[in-house]
Amino acid sequence: MSDAIELDPKLLEVLVCPRSRTPLRYDREKQELISDAARLAYPIRDGVPILWEEEARELGAEE
Amino acid sequence: MPARAAEDLAERLEAIPGARGPTLVLGGGALHRVLDARPALRERLAPVFTADPCAALGDIACDPERLPIAEAAFGVAVSPLLLHWCNDLPGALVQLRRALKPDGVFLGAAFGAETLRELRTVLLEAELEETGGASARIAPFGVVQDYAHLLQRAGFALPATDRELVTVRYRDPTRLFSDSRAMGETSALRERGKPLTRNILARALDLYAQRYAEADGRVRATFELIVMTGWAPAPTQPKPLRPGAAQSRLADALKTTERSAGEKAGQ
Repeated sequence: MSDAIELDPKLLEVLVCPRSRTPLRYDREKQELISDAARLAYPIRDGVPILWEEEARELGAEE
Repeated sequence: MPARAAEDLAERLEAIPGARGPTLVLGGGALHRVLDARPALRERLAPVFTADPCAALGDIACDPERLPIAEAAFGVAVSPLLLHWCNDLPGALVQLRRALKPDGVFLGAAFGAETLRELRTVLLEAELEETGGASARIAPFGVVQDYAHLLQRAGFALPATDRELVTVRYRDPTRLFSDSRAMGETSALRERGKPLTRNILARALDLYAQRYAEADGRVRATFELIVMTGWAPAPTQPKPLRPGAAQSRLADALKTTERSAGEKAGQ
């Protein structure tokens, strides 16, 4: 995704994973917010993080 | 109504000089347009981030009952007309309080129990006439005392609630439905019972027009807007003193003589 909208770093600072309540890691390439504690990846669509657990992808063993 | 609620909240924020950003807006839309007209307030509240269940309306999409927000991250939290949607309002309020820094302020607007009382009455009557029974058509809203109690239970300091009854006049009752739909405020009840038949609806609209029409033929609908205010606790806030900790006597202030409760006046 080359035309991805950059996520506001100030926004990233205040976000946590809704399941584990731990900070999130920004994956610019995949446009995802990663919760290492909950092993979930939340999608970012049009620059908007979708922090619904139902929308998250479970991380694979390698990630 | 959403514009009115947002306007009300913005005016209150203007009157609280201590309210400083970053600001979390729970429930997007109307507040942004109101802030656009108030650049000084917008600057004081900046940066403003909006969280909404729907991605199109917010900077973040999330469940308002599971806020993905770090603790003590915000100076201000505002919620225009979203909280009456929550199944777990106490839980949502606790999460908002946690998102605030000490002495951060929360302002929320919600619909109260008086909202759409005319429509409730006529739907109930029409359904009773047609079927001999009735089911809930409009989600129940809390009364103002419930909201006050909830704020306190959620751990807010200096909690306050007030209410305002707003009468909206519609050219005919069907406009009320299209307006509710435009606000995204059609009934959120999961168990709505039997579907509303055409007959019941027609009868209800008749009753509505008969009973709540004004001289010019327009019909009125009541909305009750409840505004909640509360602060995240901080040591600097005023607190009630311990009983018996008074430094001066009430009797002195009133320039009277103190009598013990056993004595009778005039003796």
